[in-house]
Amino acid sequence: MNRLLALFLSILFLIPAVSMATIKLPQPEKIVLENGLTVYFYRNPELPLVSFRMIIPGAGSAFEPQGLDGLANLTAELLLKGTSTMTAEEIAEALDFLGARFAISDAEEYATVYGECLSEHLPRLLQIASECLISPAFKEDEYKKELSRKIDNLKAIKDNPGSALRQYFRKAYFGDHPFGHLSVGTDSSLKKMTLQEIKKFYSSRYRPDVAIMAVVGEVEKEKLLEILKSTIGKWPKPSTPAPSISIPPVPVPKGKKLIFVDKPDATQSYFALGAPGYPVGDKISARASIMNTLWGGRFTSWLNTELRIKRGLTYGASSSFQSWKIGGLFMASSYTKNDKIGEMLDITFDLLKKAKAQGFSAEEVDSARNYILGQFPPTLETNSSKANAYLRLIYYGLGFDYYDKYLKEISNARPEDIKAVATKLLPESDFVLVVVGKGAEAKKHLEKYGKFQEKKITDPDF
Amino acid sequence: MPKKMGLFVLSLFFLTAMLQATFKKEDIKVHRLENGLKIIFYEDHKIPNIAYYTFFKVGSRNERPGLTGVSHFIEHMMFNGTQKFGPGEFDRIMEFYGGANNAYTSDDMTAYTDWFPSHALEKMIELEADRMQGLIFDPKVFESERGVVASERRMSVENNNEAILHENVRATAIMAHPYHWDVIGWMSDILSWRREEVIQYYRTYYAPNNAVLVIVGDFDSQKTLDLIKKYYGPIPAQSPPPPVTTTEPPQMGRKEVVIKKEAQTPSFMVVYHGPRCTDPDFFALSLLEKPLLQGESSRLYRRLVRDEQLAISVSGGIEEKIDPYLFSIYVKPRPGADLDKIEKVIDEELNKIIEQGITEQEYQKAMNIIRSDFYFSLQTNSGKANLIGAMELLTGNYENLFTIVDRYASVKREELPAVAKKYFNDLNKTVGKLIPQGGSK
Repeated sequence: MNRLLALFLSILFLIPAVSMATIKLPQPEKIVLENGLTVYFYRNPELPLVSFRMIIPGAGSAFEPQGLDGLANLTAELLLKGTSTMTAEEIAEALDFLGARFAISDAEEYATVYGECLSEHLPRLLQIASECLISPAFKEDEYKKELSRKIDNLKAIKDNPGSALRQYFRKAYFGDHPFGHLSVGTDSSLKKMTLQEIKKFYSSRYRPDVAIMAVVGEVEKEKLLEILKSTIGKWPKPSTPAPSISIPPVPVPKGKKLIFVDKPDATQSYFALGAPGYPVGDKISARASIMNTLWGGRFTSWLNTELRIKRGLTYGASSSFQSWKIGGLFMASSYTKNDKIGEMLDITFDLLKKAKAQGFSAEEVDSARNYILGQFPPTLETNSSKANAYLRLIYYGLGFDYYDKYLKEISNARPEDIKAVATKLLPESDFVLVVVGKGAEAKKHLEKYGKFQEKKITDPDF
Repeated sequence: MPKKMGLFVLSLFFLTAMLQATFKKEDIKVHRLENGLKIIFYEDHKIPNIAYYTFFKVGSRNERPGLTGVSHFIEHMMFNGTQKFGPGEFDRIMEFYGGANNAYTSDDMTAYTDWFPSHALEKMIELEADRMQGLIFDPKVFESERGVVASERRMSVENNNEAILHENVRATAIMAHPYHWDVIGWMSDILSWRREEVIQYYRTYYAPNNAVLVIVGDFDSQKTLDLIKKYYGPIPAQSPPPPVTTTEPPQMGRKEVVIKKEAQTPSFMVVYHGPRCTDPDFFALSLLEKPLLQGESSRLYRRLVRDEQLAISVSGGIEEKIDPYLFSIYVKPRPGADLDKIEKVIDEELNKIIEQGITEQEYQKAMNIIRSDFYFSLQTNSGKANLIGAMELLTGNYENLFTIVDRYASVKREELPAVAKKYFNDLNKTVGKLIPQGGSK
């Protein structure tokens, strides 16, 4: 049987698989501690495990002073490197001893705290966590160790074209906007870094009255309250008002911004193409998910079909939307042999044009809808993913019925809506394109796109 | 090597102390079809979804020179068309029904992992049964997929200094056994596999008598078994594949590999030959790896990263394999770090364990880590399916999952120095260094 005909018939005989996913995010209880910390709790007795997560708005990388990339990340890391009563070794030993998972890290808009352990170890884990948050020592020698490790890590990042691309792209796209701050730091920012700045960042940005926490797992509410009061509840609320956490509008590319990074030992060229997305909770979210699923978001997406499945140019090609409170980003990326990068980009741009002009068929939209609905329940399967969902809903002000509404919108989207989203969001002539590859082999295939600003991988910064 | 992005980490052998009542041996049902297909069911109705895992007893361990990487290649070709469903239709139909999938190949096994809403079950069974016997290996698609795998090799090995070093060290430490080569295979083999040979390989290993299905989630076992009989029942059994008989001869002295290549940072690793995953020594070494390598409180992290500041990170341990493999120590040195010094520190720390063993605190820590990780992996349908399947394939019986606690508990702290001494010695050691070209030592 002819391959295309077979596909046609198989689609005809597919039973419409649309059915609302029956999972609902359980409603958590809200607890407000005396220091202003808000805690959302849901008891899940299934396994003897508990997860907690916290976000501290305003303590993310977007709030670093200009030119001090990596400050928020260093601050978060140093919280685990000694407190008023424990040395860095003692903290590491205590955490490892429990077999617990614990991390403090930085996103753009906030710092995050994540912990997960056997229920019996929760009191001890929360005790260590609150010590780290409440009374970090910020010792000079620990700071120097972390800083120098970070400086060396920049070189390791540049040895890997994929991870180097992410840093170059972020700088190229966001420029001086706070979202352009790199958590890994830059050669110049780490040179300028001081412990004084870190202490200042911590004391003004880490505070319980703006933080939100979620706890999910096997622990009784009374017991949890008792533990919280004697640990994180002791985090004093500062007398000063919380600093502003507003972020200027995300820049919108005008025209093409093209950057080529020469990495002479690369056997492949890696590209990232970026354009504006949409903010979290935007009305367009559900439709944009369907559109992205079809264009570059899953294995059979247009992009992966053309670049990988049909042509074997790459191991993987994908696109995604990333969203924040004040805006978002669309990004497509892949990689191929240096001399094929021109062909790869031609196909990518053709697919963007095609989606804007033609949109997607009814069958395709059905398929994306079924896919998103079918894959949704496992995203809330674990304690940690439930805790994360609570924090997102609260921080972004989405309401606890957000997922129900979102899934309903997914169910109701029509092909013409999806085409409209493609026309609106997919880039045509205004975008940022960054390529990391071997110049001697790749550059001649890129000339047709215009003039690339050139960088060498060995130059400092990104 | 997974079909898609992201590295597969086989998380197995976690302690089973006080297994929760919610995951009991009695709730697992097993059935074997006449054609030899073994099916393991575990019903769990918390979410309206199913994890459907198919494990084939084939991996790079079953390959030979000229055909290296072919197990992983067939993993890719499993998505590229059967007599019934054309190239790419497997994914298109699965996604249309709300399902997603991935696959991975290791040295010892190939696994196909499907996640879908419960209502799609029959279609998924039909698709999986179909590709167990009906692949067509369309010549054009064959060539295109060869390109994908070559790209995967360029990405995952040739553009990754740690992977280049790892491939060289493995091939140096292991001379005779097929663990000599990496799952991805040598580039020249990737570029020259012949279609007929690949088809022959597929016929031999993709047979119901060489496969295990693990199904976890929201379904009814009896109804599902009826569907499985309907779709898989007619697939004929094949002659059992030839056993892997090559045994790695004992190593007779320290080996060293030095790679010189353009890079900004060096790479470093040390490996020792270790036991297979069912050997009593395996549990001792798996326990030892925690105080030695896991977390910032581990001995090697303390020495190399914090105290001497020679490294950015350390990792490693013993990997669970059907045949004896390696205990590996990976170090990411700081730029310009003295690699001989790093080796010396590792020797000193291993010797301390040989002479003094580990503390009671460290022993307890290892047990806590093992127990917590075990529960973490039981949180999802896919975690359970993977654990059951990997245990079944590597140890021959998934039920070991429920008794493995005794294996760990039976390792006495006092026995650890002797085990360490048996494996961590110079005769058994291979060192790998990647030295940036023109750079410092």
